[in-house]
Amino acid sequence: MIISILGASTTKFGELWNVSPRAMAKEVMVNALNMSGLKSSDIDALYVGNMLSGILGNQANLGSLLVEELGVFIPAFRVEGACASGGLALHNAVNSIKAGQYKTVLVLGIEKMTDASLDETTNALMAAGSDEERMAGATFPGVYALMAQAYMKQYNVSEEDLASVSVKNHYHGTLNPKAQFRFPITINDVLKSPKIADPLKLLDCSPISDGAAAVIITGGGSKKIKKPIRIVASEIATDTLSLHDRKSFTSLHSVVEASHKAYKKSGLKPTDIDVAEIHDCFSISEAIAVEDLGFSKKGEGARDIAKEKRTLFKGDIICNSSGGLKACGHPVGATGIKQIVEITEQLRAESGERQVKGAKIGLTHNVGGSGAVTAIHILRV
Amino acid sequence: MITSPVKLWRRHKNVSAQIGKKGKILLWTIIRVPAKSFTDQAPYPVVIVKMQNGENMIGQLVDWQEKDLVSGCEVVSVLRRLRTEDKEDIIYYNIKFKPL
Repeated sequence: MIISILGASTTKFGELWNVSPRAMAKEVMVNALNMSGLKSSDIDALYVGNMLSGILGNQANLGSLLVEELGVFIPAFRVEGACASGGLALHNAVNSIKAGQYKTVLVLGIEKMTDASLDETTNALMAAGSDEERMAGATFPGVYALMAQAYMKQYNVSEEDLASVSVKNHYHGTLNPKAQFRFPITINDVLKSPKIADPLKLLDCSPISDGAAAVIITGGGSKKIKKPIRIVASEIATDTLSLHDRKSFTSLHSVVEASHKAYKKSGLKPTDIDVAEIHDCFSISEAIAVEDLGFSKKGEGARDIAKEKRTLFKGDIICNSSGGLKACGHPVGATGIKQIVEITEQLRAESGERQVKGAKIGLTHNVGGSGAVTAIHILRV
Repeated sequence: MITSPVKLWRRHKNVSAQIGKKGKILLWTIIRVPAKSFTDQAPYPVVIVKMQNGENMIGQLVDWQEKDLVSGCEVVSVLRRLRTEDKEDIIYYNIKFKPL
């Protein structure tokens, strides 16, 4: 069965203090419907990817809350998998169409994080980890910092090389009107920024953000969109919740596993990918990801990024044309869907200043926790 | 963060068996922006330790100096007060690691 994307939209990402979660959801759902030429009554079900509404907003029952904004009382579900909630919601939506239960489904990713204080949000995000990690006083940056220590030592990688991930993504962010940060930074800015968890500094870390994104997918055709973008692989893999229980600290098994399955299902290989959205929650995440996805050789991910092999207008496989989590922002439940919106726009050649010329095949890499779950999607023209 | 007395009681039952075990630091970081109940201890190191029985554990490093933050540093597990509780909360003790 062919699964097509008919509509795709994101809000601007950032500190949206004057916008409610309901308003964010409505904005992207209406925009996605307008793009698709469909009415809300054409949608058979709503899947919502969200992590923190229960902890930070004291709001459960998100499916029912958000169908009110869609204006039709259809089956609605909230899917949670930490920062991979968006990718998991899309996977479930794809499966529901393949199973024949629904024909056309709206998938919404949404998160409201900046209403809470920094330590409340830090605490809430650590719900993605394990009791052992929380009891050790570890934070999310702390867990990724441990990976960075292991990676830098094993492959003799410098802090400058890691910093180049943030520099690249901020440059891409300057070209994206929806990005939270639209200013360039230098290697020196990253190195001089305050330490969060050694060796990671403030500018190695993605921000706390508000935002929502929506896509409409269908197993049927479309009157309005003649050649829709297709989802040719939607794969998930999991791993231990705790980092310390894993065999490797320099590779994420769930990424390797999910991407292998996705390449196999689509009949594609890493070198076929033109443009990818990578889950760069920290600089180290993107360095390891480009290796686990097969874009770079083991140990060369950060150095390839430093050599501009993943940079717009210069590289071979362009990573995070949106600015990634670092510059576009990281409203955790929305991120996985925002990645799909970005790749859809790239493949439709609608990305304006940040267009990857001739992009035909794209990949999204959405990770929950420190690699406990990964969602990989491959899209093509 | 755990605050339920029942959950604390259940977890405490396993803690005493883990005291006095030796291992070596595999990886370390220094947490400078902690979660709320750890604020008054920051900055503090968190380490992954390879225990003598072969399993890995994660924990806070206490009584430390700069020279202890190297992989291979020998440590022993000790019982310490975990964090700063609110006035109504039960005081929680947990395993942390001390350089040998």
